[in-house]
Amino acid sequence: MRKRLIKLLSTLCVTMMAGGLLVGCGGNSSSTSSDSKSTSSGEKVTLTFGSHQSGLPTSGVVQELAKQFESETGIKIDFQISPDAQWRDLLKVKLDSGEAPDIFCADADPLNLVTRVNPEKYVLDVTNEEWVKRMDKNVLPSISYKDKVYGITFPGKKMYFYVYNKEIFDKLGLKVPTNYAEFKNVCQKIKDSGVIPVYEGTQNGWHQVLPLFETGAMYQQKHPDLYNKLNKNEVDLDAVPELQTIISELKECADLGFYGDNYLSNSVENAKEAMAKGKAAMFIAESAWRNEVKSDFPDFDVNKLGIFVMPWGDNQAIGVNPASNAYFINKNGKHVEEAKKFFDFLAKPENLQKRLDGQPGLSELCWPEIKSKYSKEDQAYIDSLQKGMVVQAGVKYIDSQWMDVGKDLEAMYTGSLTPQQVLETIMNRRKEQAQLQKDPDWNK
Amino acid sequence: MDRKKLYPWYFTSGALLIFFLLCFLPGIIGILYSFTDWNNFTDKINFVGFKNYVEVLKGKPEYRAYLWNTVLFTTVTTIMKTVVGLALALLLTQKVIKLKNFHRMVIFSPQVMSYLVVGLVFKSMLHPDTGFVNNFLKSVGLDIFAMNWLTDLKIVFATVMSVDTWKGMGYIMVVIIAGLMSISPDYYEAANIDGANFWQKFRLITLPLLKPIIINATILNVTYGFRVFDMIYSLTNGGPGNATGVINTAVYKEFSKGNYAMGTTLSSILFFALLLLVYFIIKSMENKEVDA
Repeated sequence: MRKRLIKLLSTLCVTMMAGGLLVGCGGNSSSTSSDSKSTSSGEKVTLTFGSHQSGLPTSGVVQELAKQFESETGIKIDFQISPDAQWRDLLKVKLDSGEAPDIFCADADPLNLVTRVNPEKYVLDVTNEEWVKRMDKNVLPSISYKDKVYGITFPGKKMYFYVYNKEIFDKLGLKVPTNYAEFKNVCQKIKDSGVIPVYEGTQNGWHQVLPLFETGAMYQQKHPDLYNKLNKNEVDLDAVPELQTIISELKECADLGFYGDNYLSNSVENAKEAMAKGKAAMFIAESAWRNEVKSDFPDFDVNKLGIFVMPWGDNQAIGVNPASNAYFINKNGKHVEEAKKFFDFLAKPENLQKRLDGQPGLSELCWPEIKSKYSKEDQAYIDSLQKGMVVQAGVKYIDSQWMDVGKDLEAMYTGSLTPQQVLETIMNRRKEQAQLQKDPDWNK
Repeated sequence: MDRKKLYPWYFTSGALLIFFLLCFLPGIIGILYSFTDWNNFTDKINFVGFKNYVEVLKGKPEYRAYLWNTVLFTTVTTIMKTVVGLALALLLTQKVIKLKNFHRMVIFSPQVMSYLVVGLVFKSMLHPDTGFVNNFLKSVGLDIFAMNWLTDLKIVFATVMSVDTWKGMGYIMVVIIAGLMSISPDYYEAANIDGANFWQKFRLITLPLLKPIIINATILNVTYGFRVFDMIYSLTNGGPGNATGVINTAVYKEFSKGNYAMGTTLSSILFFALLLLVYFIIKSMENKEVDA
């Protein structure tokens, strides 16, 4: 009796295991066929949408649009938001392992799209969609690779300034600094008054890097044809002494306590509170960031906040970044058609307007049919400045190491790297990336 | 031996096949890839010999720092978890303690939480300005102990290891309690009659009889310590700078850079180091059993 039972059980086990193997092999085809059935019969589809924190406006306007989209089409969108510091790595790992969401957001610029999302392999080609023609021609290179368009993007060109508290400046009798010496002087006086001069938060990993590369317009003025030479490997970054100067100045300001005591633990998200409550006097942000402060702190008068150009390395020109984050469709995802419908929906003029209105931190869209929000005063100030392209949008192998540079600067602030070593590390990483990608200019 | 009771060898073939296909083969392929220049940017893979290994051992000093950090992390957390776990186990098997199971449950509970959750909770608790720890210290007048726990180079690694010990000690405690319960009370009774004190009993009865359990706990701790990732990733992301980076955070970084070959090289090094270490730990255990 017992023997029989054991025999029966073992036969059962072996059959189940063999069956399991077969199911494992055949699973793929059967599941996809049932999926396509479910979509065609109009059953509820859920699209996954992966993004980093700064990829989606904090006001939640994209989520609102998604809800509207759901009520119109029945297609639900599930947002999966990751911290800024992790998204680039995470997205690549997800793409490579075949686990990427149906739609994903990524920072896009003309030089780095291929290293970031490998469009030919993973992203749906949308070149022939109707809305592509309506986007600003200047942003298309950021979302294209080998003459094919792969994504949709909304924010207009980016420019970073120092947003400062006019009230604090007036009270201390300070004027807007136009070079580094004046800037240091201003910081010292603000610090002496008990206010943190500059709000810095290194936890997000990207913000501290802005002074190095947003000042690209100045580098170009001083070194003609610089970007081209850097991209052809004719010169390296040490040919730009201003860059080294700026890295050293950042360290000097940290040592002088101009960022406060806890900048290494701070996050960029808390800058609004620090500025609105008068705890900090200056913060690097886009001009329209002030509207975000207003929406979070309605009692605070944002007219108290002005903007001026980052005076690092005596810079007086403004860096323009045509690139921004963009949304892409996962070509290997299960719901490509539904994702395309969502893009069509976002590109409708009324929804574009909704997006601009619903995102206080945005001044303009890269869709010429929608009017920008710049105030007259800002527009006049911006028009008065000399402009040039930022380094990361014009020079290869900079943007891909942006977060690493953030860590290098952190290491410099804690004293484990010197400013010279930071620059060397950046240069070595460029070389390493170029060699890895078999760039002909580095492998002569 | 009753040969009829043995099952024929082919009964294991299903399991062997699955093990071979899903565990053994991918492992071997992974190691083979570490001898190539496999990366995200080309589909061509070229054999490069030991170049990647040489790069780790002789190239950028970061890699060696990661290796050193991993060893340091493993050693310190293994010792701390075992010592604290043993102490707690001894304490929570004493007759004088009331509500033993409740205490055990509380100390064990961090073990069931996700590493990410623990990391994020501690990250906010250890924030120098708004965190619970510093605010508590300041409120009781211990301002000098309020520190930048996760950004000060001198203490950041100690903080990470302490949080990890806090999470892991409960598990070791439970394992050791199970060991303590299996020690026959007769030994202690006899020792009591001989007039042995607590330390003598601990040193001469408890420790020798717990040895196999402690060795097992050590293997668990060492294999965990070498592979640590989530805790460090969520607490410091390897920072400030690269101060708390370990091999697995570096593997993740290399993969995300598209340099797959270097990622597999680092994880192969980890694999060989672990294999060697665990082999010696198990060997030492066997010897002890023979001696006894």
